[in-house]
Amino acid sequence: MRSKRFEALDARPVNQDGFVTEWPEVGLMAMNSPNDPKPSIRIEHGLVVELDGKLRADFDMIDTFIADYGIRLENAEAVCKMDSLDLARKLVDINVPRTEVVKLTTSMTPAKITEVVGTMTVLEMMMAVSKMRARLTPANQCHVTNLKDNPVQIAADAAEASLRGFAEEETTVGIGRYAPFNAMAIMVGAQVGRPGILTQCAVEEATELNLGMRGFTAYAETVSVYGTEAVFMDGDDTPWSKAFLASCYASRGLKMRFTSGTGSEVQMGYAEGKSMLYLESRCIYITKAAGSQGIQNGSVSCVGVPAAVPGGIRAILAENLIAMALDLECASSNDQTFTHSDLRRVARSLMQFVPGTDFICSGYSATPNYDNMFAGSNWDADDFDDWLIIQRDLKVDGGLVPVLEDDVVAARNKAARALQAVFKNLGLTEITDAEIEAATYARGSEDMPPRNVVEDLKSAEDMMKRGTTGVDIVKALSKGGFEDVADAVFGMLKQRVAGDYLHTSAILTRDFEVISAVNQPNDYRGPQTGYQISDEKWAILKNIRQAISPESI
Amino acid sequence: MVMTMDEKTLKSIIEEVMKEMALVGAGAPTGKPAGRSAGGTTSLVISESGPAERGTNPREVVIGLAAAFGGRQTQTIIGLPHDQVIREICAGIEEEGLSYRFIRSFRTADVGFIAHEAAKLSGSGIGIGIQSRGTTVIHQKDLAPLSNLELFSQSPLIDLETFRAIGKNAAKYAKGESPSPVPVRNDQMARPKYQAIAALLHIKETQLLDPNKKTQALRVEYR
Amino acid sequence: MDQEQLIRQIMAEVMTSLGKDSVTFQKKSPAAGNGIGRDQYPLGEKMPEKVKSATGKVLSDFSLERVKNGELTAEDFRIAPETLEMQAQVADSVDRQNLARNMRRAAELIAVPDDRLLGVYNALRPYRSTKTELYGIADELEQKYHCTVNAAFIREAADVYEKRGRLKAE
Repeated sequence: MRSKRFEALDARPVNQDGFVTEWPEVGLMAMNSPNDPKPSIRIEHGLVVELDGKLRADFDMIDTFIADYGIRLENAEAVCKMDSLDLARKLVDINVPRTEVVKLTTSMTPAKITEVVGTMTVLEMMMAVSKMRARLTPANQCHVTNLKDNPVQIAADAAEASLRGFAEEETTVGIGRYAPFNAMAIMVGAQVGRPGILTQCAVEEATELNLGMRGFTAYAETVSVYGTEAVFMDGDDTPWSKAFLASCYASRGLKMRFTSGTGSEVQMGYAEGKSMLYLESRCIYITKAAGSQGIQNGSVSCVGVPAAVPGGIRAILAENLIAMALDLECASSNDQTFTHSDLRRVARSLMQFVPGTDFICSGYSATPNYDNMFAGSNWDADDFDDWLIIQRDLKVDGGLVPVLEDDVVAARNKAARALQAVFKNLGLTEITDAEIEAATYARGSEDMPPRNVVEDLKSAEDMMKRGTTGVDIVKALSKGGFEDVADAVFGMLKQRVAGDYLHTSAILTRDFEVISAVNQPNDYRGPQTGYQISDEKWAILKNIRQAISPESI
Repeated sequence: MVMTMDEKTLKSIIEEVMKEMALVGAGAPTGKPAGRSAGGTTSLVISESGPAERGTNPREVVIGLAAAFGGRQTQTIIGLPHDQVIREICAGIEEEGLSYRFIRSFRTADVGFIAHEAAKLSGSGIGIGIQSRGTTVIHQKDLAPLSNLELFSQSPLIDLETFRAIGKNAAKYAKGESPSPVPVRNDQMARPKYQAIAALLHIKETQLLDPNKKTQALRVEYR
Repeated sequence: MDQEQLIRQIMAEVMTSLGKDSVTFQKKSPAAGNGIGRDQYPLGEKMPEKVKSATGKVLSDFSLERVKNGELTAEDFRIAPETLEMQAQVADSVDRQNLARNMRRAAELIAVPDDRLLGVYNALRPYRSTKTELYGIADELEQKYHCTVNAAFIREAADVYEKRGRLKAE
């Protein structure tokens, strides 16, 4: 006979999640593994001859790259000898400024910084994130995708997402060959909603660079790095090829960040028996060494792995903190689904939501999850009001703002029509008025009429062969009568000439002013310092449509 | 049979992996002889027949199997027997009047690379790569290894019907046609349920790799 | 050197450079020297007249009208090496030397055409190239496009790949 209470518990959503016990030998352990190397560094004549217990002769590719480029060597030996607990206290202490901490953290070895954050509770880490986030103002990023790769819907969803406050928008594909259309659609749609939104299209590395070069995207994020050499090879890259790729993007005036996350090495089968966090710290050092301005991390697509082991969500916060401590922009994940439980998904996100990060989600699904082609996000379009109300409850700026239905409908419609004009003037497949109507009011792709996929793919391929660029999109918008959208896309293209948004944690305002860790660095030093929600912003955040005013009764 | 991640299942998998780790550690041969399928009325017998050659037949599709497929592992992550998976893919190719060959990669367990290897060896330039857990890619030799024609990344969502459609589409690409891609499926709850077990299955696959072993041509029989 | 002599010398220098149209009597912006730092940032907002595209067009002259009438083409929306160098100096000024180093590598790569750049990236991926091929690419970048830093970086990669067995089999 079964306990009725246990039967009820078994039926709870959380019990559909997968959990496993730790298995340190294959790296199935979040952090503080007994197999993690002890921190050490020895420098002779300016060359690192020993790193984290390994002699230079035994270095793999990753060790070599980190040793030669990733660590500030002047004080590295001294910092390595400092007490890790003292260093952790400096991370938390509001009386030690960020600039001072960065001097120490950027001198640490991967094992040292892993050991330092390994002494901290999640609350202490959140305190440290408040201080160590690079940009003063937190922001948010979203995913704009759909199951059918329907570009009309992407444009409409992107416009709505811009209205809702996302500073960056990311698309990807179900079918790889749709990439050019999806990239165009998210760019046009995003600029309709609010000028200055950065957009990207996550696809295979060389294709992604190609889209950026043409002016279809403003930045790239899917530049993945891994913590063991074997997995790096399966990722079809090396630290050198990735660093070269970083320079390729900058040479075309494109913003770029790397991506990594705990669990990827064990997920891909080669964790060398090290903890997920130690391997992730190597990824972050590779990112630093390559000269990337930032990183998307926090397990990301591998979140099911750390989330299945003890302390996994703590490790995810720890990896975000390491990225910030190394003075990198941090797009802190909170993107992919990892649980059936609404309680778990909120608890996981509070770690970044409360202290605020450069991009709290990377990203938040701007569509219902059934359309999320990153296999689902931890937050989706159906949660918009929950997110807004949690912001209002806690007086936290989580990057979103309340919107009105009429405004959303108008923006969606305009974005779909703008894309129709672009397609028409570039000689691409037809976008019908019926599709525009559907996209205007759609919740997701179930509400969209089907497109001729084969024709779309041919049309996209032809367009790429013709050498169509962002400038052609500007002209097509103008020709179609969308002068303001043309001007916004032009404004985005202009950014790549100045290159100001290549700096750490850069985003753009609606007037194309760059905000980054250079001109608006985080200066948190305790209560009433750092980012404070202004009265104007608070008035916007608290004004949700559901609230009943006393006067109205 | 639907595999949920209860403690018992996990324990048995973990035990199995540990046993295999011990085997690998002891230097036991890993690639041969290929084992028999446990489930189903027939069993799959896969044997190696020497290094795989580049084909010249423009009307063939090459199917690349990951190291454990139809050997150390016998079913996909949702319990589809490997012999049935293969039958469906082959039936899809045959429906289009094309032939097929099998190879096995030992240098990588990454499905993109396996599929690309298959495409490079294929007379038509089209290959299919498949991991033991079921993740599948249709590839073309001129594309970058981690690019693809069609990718089925969510192994828990691939059913037998989809495997047949994959075979059929691969054959159509081989004939120079532009088929409608097999409809992509998406289930945002697949990751919470399956990701950790997918990792375990992949660890098993990578433990069978041998960086010095050339890609092998395979003979596939059902007994 | 007394003051008169100093003024005379400066005058002489100014007079000789007057023939070149680059010289003006405006106060020189730090762009010309080593003085670019966080105070000049964002360059596009604070000194758009000093920011030029790779084709030599001045950012403050960019307008939608000029795109529409064809005066500005896709080629004009490319960053110039001088601009990236200024951005690298900004990065240095806020103690981000790694980012500055990346920007300086990037400044060299502006001259490399898109297709070739993609080709070099692909050649740097594992098992794609022999050591000789990578050294050849380094020579090409150095001789054809003056990418000395990148050339050294690629040679270094080739050596590491050799040591780690990540080269294409000869």
